[in-house]
Amino acid sequence: MKKTYQTHFNELRVTVVSIILLPFCLAAQDKGAKSSDSNTINTCVECHETLEMMPEGYSAGDIHQKSGISCSGCHGGDPTNYDKDESMSKKAGYIGLPKRQDIPAFCGRCHSHIDFMRTFRPRIATDQVDQYYQSVHGKKLAQGDKNVAECASCHSSHAIMPADDPRSTTHALNIPKTCKQCHSNGKLMDQYGIPHDQYDKYAASVHGKALLEKKDTGVATCNDCHGNHAATPPDAESVSNICGTCHLNNMNLFKSSQMAADFDIHSCQECHGNHDIQKPTDQMLNTASNEEAICLECHTAGDEGASTANTMYQDIQGVDSLYALAKTKLTASKTSGMNFSEIDYQIQQTRQNLIQMRTLIHSFDTSQVNAKSVEGIKIAREAIHLADLEIQEYHNRRWGFGVSVIALVILALAVYLKIRERNELVKNSR
Amino acid sequence: MTKLGRRDFVNYLLGFGSISALAAIAYPIGRFLVPPPIREAEPNSLKVGTLDDFPVNSSKIIRFGRTPVILIRDGEENMRALTATCTHLDCIVQFSSERQQIICACHNGVYDLTGKNISGPPPKPLSEFSVKVIDKEIIISQNRA
Repeated sequence: MKKTYQTHFNELRVTVVSIILLPFCLAAQDKGAKSSDSNTINTCVECHETLEMMPEGYSAGDIHQKSGISCSGCHGGDPTNYDKDESMSKKAGYIGLPKRQDIPAFCGRCHSHIDFMRTFRPRIATDQVDQYYQSVHGKKLAQGDKNVAECASCHSSHAIMPADDPRSTTHALNIPKTCKQCHSNGKLMDQYGIPHDQYDKYAASVHGKALLEKKDTGVATCNDCHGNHAATPPDAESVSNICGTCHLNNMNLFKSSQMAADFDIHSCQECHGNHDIQKPTDQMLNTASNEEAICLECHTAGDEGASTANTMYQDIQGVDSLYALAKTKLTASKTSGMNFSEIDYQIQQTRQNLIQMRTLIHSFDTSQVNAKSVEGIKIAREAIHLADLEIQEYHNRRWGFGVSVIALVILALAVYLKIRERNELVKNSR
Repeated sequence: MTKLGRRDFVNYLLGFGSISALAAIAYPIGRFLVPPPIREAEPNSLKVGTLDDFPVNSSKIIRFGRTPVILIRDGEENMRALTATCTHLDCIVQFSSERQQIICACHNGVYDLTGKNISGPPPKPLSEFSVKVIDKEIIISQNRA
């Protein structure tokens, strides 16, 4: 076959680069020759370090490196041979840098090989590549889209670490930033007609604040709702199930409610949103005096739904206001140095009641919420009563102490006067 | 009407002072002897009932001072007591007899029967109390470190 001008140019370029690199590789060879054990020789790292051509983001903590799989494990070639042309030849099995479309298969050579993977971790999953091709990313990559995420986009190329390592790009704390790399890129996302404000919304949400500010890794992050290797936007039907992974009772109550039965389009996100989920407040139900009440997005003030919401709101408020008062009185008891254990216990019970009421609202059944409200009010009033007793006892003790001091002063004065009187009598009798 | 003399005044003052001082001493002693309306804070141990009160595979939330405790009978002879407040956001946990696990319904936290957090958001295990059965009487006490 006749060589093209481009082919000649490429060959010339390789030759020139090889001549320039030769002294560096020879220097690396001298350095490597000092190493007696050929098994420890990794000419890839030696040459690339010497030439300051290490891959971007390379980390010696990479799980492959640590597991004894060096550069050649992925890229092929002969890491024991200092001759660049030989070590990086097809004969030596050199693959080099895979094309973007080939990366899943490239990683899958090992990661889809169950026997091989089990030699490292007996319970490791080996279906990541299959899952990936079910994802939106995978489907688009298979169609030839070179912009979508593949393995290295999320896991990095040369600093891959287990997901439970806080340095890993796939550690729960780092997942939002990993997804953000592409999903906050407006130019890229516009091509697919999808929004690019998810990270900002998530960071301001109750989940985002708990994860990013409080470092609570138990909270939902991107892959908890969207999946990871098979990442797909959840459809309306699956949203309740996804939220129900953590909010189990809320999901069960909602699913068995009339609301879910009558309006199958309703799911958690109808009221709570998705990426920008805020900490729910009781005001969301206050259809009587809050125009921002979430129920008013579908209902109109005064209709049956709005009235149901408002009834539940009033029940919760009844307990919540007593709970706040009881807590204030508990603080007063504590700072007075009085016994607050019983009050504290009753307040804990009231709080449990409030949690249950705020969960029960997902049944949209006012009778269930009201029953808990009656119970909560009773417990909160008991706590307030006990706190009042303790505060009264504190004042009684202060007054008692004052009166006792006065009584003792009077006694001391009387004794003094009596002694003086006796002394005067003795003096006069002489 | 006879005029109150200086000596009488001193005697009255002495009498009043003595009675008041005695009252000031006697009142706190009396209050100490009468049980307070609010029970005392942290018990070291607590009798919670007999084995017959707890069927096998059942649980009950009891209080140990101001701490809610979940008492679980998961076998003929097995009684366990653990703090009943979830280590995630302080919700009260429940015993699932089918799953033989302790679950927190607030955010689906799961603990095993030793109190170890095994799934969901709880960051720490539940604290364990020691349980003794003496003559069918169940006594729980705090595990001192």
